Amino acid sequence: MLKIENLFLKKGNFILGQLSFEVEKNSYFVILGRTGSGKTMLLESLAGIQNIEGKIFCGDIEVSHLAPEKRNFGFVYQDFALFPNMNVRDNIKYSSKYKKIENKEALFDDIVSFLRIENILDRDIRYLSGGEKQRVAMARAIYSRPKLLLLDEPLSAVDPTFRNSIMKSLKDIVKRYDMTIIHVTHNFREASFLADKVAVLLDGKILQIGDAYEVLNKPKNIEVAKFLGFKNIFPATILGFEQKDRYFTVDPTKISFGDKKREDVYSFECVIENILGMSEHYKVFAKVEDEIFFCKVHHSAFDGKELKEGMKTNMYIDKKDVAFI
Amino acid sequence: MKTDKFFIFVFMFLGSILVLFLTIPLIKLFMSVGALSMYQTLQDKEVYDSIFLTLKSAFYAVVFVCITGIPLAYLIARYDFWGKSILESVLDIPVMVPHTAAGIALLVAFSNGYIDFIDTTTGIVSAMMFLSAPFLINGAKEGFKKVDVKYEYVARTLGASRLRAFFSIALPNARNDIINGALMMWSRGLGEFGAVVIIAYHPMVAPVLIYDRFNNFGLKYSAPVAADMILVSVCLFLAIRYVNNRLR
Repeated sequence: MLKIENLFLKKGNFILGQLSFEVEKNSYFVILGRTGSGKTMLLESLAGIQNIEGKIFCGDIEVSHLAPEKRNFGFVYQDFALFPNMNVRDNIKYSSKYKKIENKEALFDDIVSFLRIENILDRDIRYLSGGEKQRVAMARAIYSRPKLLLLDEPLSAVDPTFRNSIMKSLKDIVKRYDMTIIHVTHNFREASFLADKVAVLLDGKILQIGDAYEVLNKPKNIEVAKFLGFKNIFPATILGFEQKDRYFTVDPTKISFGDKKREDVYSFECVIENILGMSEHYKVFAKVEDEIFFCKVHHSAFDGKELKEGMKTNMYIDKKDVAFI
Repeated sequence: MKTDKFFIFVFMFLGSILVLFLTIPLIKLFMSVGALSMYQTLQDKEVYDSIFLTLKSAFYAVVFVCITGIPLAYLIARYDFWGKSILESVLDIPVMVPHTAAGIALLVAFSNGYIDFIDTTTGIVSAMMFLSAPFLINGAKEGFKKVDVKYEYVARTLGASRLRAFFSIALPNARNDIINGALMMWSRGLGEFGAVVIIAYHPMVAPVLIYDRFNNFGLKYSAPVAADMILVSVCLFLAIRYVNNRLR
């Protein structure tokens, strides 16, 4: 549905690109990246707000040089950008002044009912909560019947208690209103719940793109792994491999300890550096060679072992729990 | 909270000195002239015509700067371009120069025979505009800066063209600052004397008439004209502010 070829944008010292990727029709595509990685700039480039080099195709039509009003892409900003000179109803219906919208009254009723904003239609936007603003901004964008909806961190200003229900609504929008969504966020939970496909954007470059499960669980490089919060990223030489540019990671909950060296697992001699007692588990920091492994040991598994700070013991990692990067 | 009370008292005392300085001359003027004399002076055709000409000329100046200055203010607020700070400084020059010098400059620039400039309404409007335009331009510029550019971006993704986004989003949301700037410009134009008297002694705007009567007939004949002019200006000023607040 959307095809991006060699998108490039330079703003001051920051460079976005060269980016090339495709987004399938009626899919939910999430771009994950930390603050300042170029997520908003990318969405603005797609919307036609930023002047870019490269090509953007929507279906078979190149839209790279079309003005934003000609692209038919909806946009919801992080702070929602509701028009202060209009009430909720006028904000939602704004696009009808400039676009022909089929069955607009029925569509309006359907959207306000779907997003549960019937009771605030005549309210001044200054008196809306974060969640209400979010739903009004969504309604305004959906009402314009875009082919593609661009969402810039739409849940960041929403009370955490409402996030689940709003995420459910976001997921439903794709089928209900026959559109494709590109959603940028730094929140992995949002990505894993919403995304069909995920792209990781760091420092203006897409480092990994693919199915959501694949990207979130099998990072292809260290930057992505670190960004996704993977712990225990170490050179594979610790495991006995020779390639110096190969790394592995292991889930802290999959590491165990024991008195004897074992042959059926990766087994290392280690020194317990530090132990922090938490409510459900102990955080154990164990030194192997020059690397510090972070391990989470559940109380029930910990109590019999009598681990103490400074003691020498053995650390085990099952081979199936090692993920190579 | 004794310190707070003392702090507030000192500030109120200092502030009230200025408020009294600003209001006493006006109150004294109205009291010394009296309502009857003000009413009778307004019946004088020369005074009426002069006040009307002043209001009209200042209004024309504001309209012209609204049409030309608001787009300029928008460009300055929205875009960074080469020479922007120089342009902003140039626009502020009229505020700094002596008004009579501005009148002479206008005379040199425009009294070339192509424009009927000397002793005409055009000349009066030009003088008022030259010296008071920065108030409207700066007001509009600050107003546009306060309007988040993202509103216009969103408006465009919703189908509005660049121009429509300007008229439906940027302009209405900067309205208060623009109206305040226009009021400042208009009131500044009403009081313009130095430049106007160089370009057009006749037809007489109110400040020139007040000066003329003071010079030829003394305080007794000029004070009622001054009181009438101040009263009309203040009433119009308050009326526009009231309407603007009601529309907000």
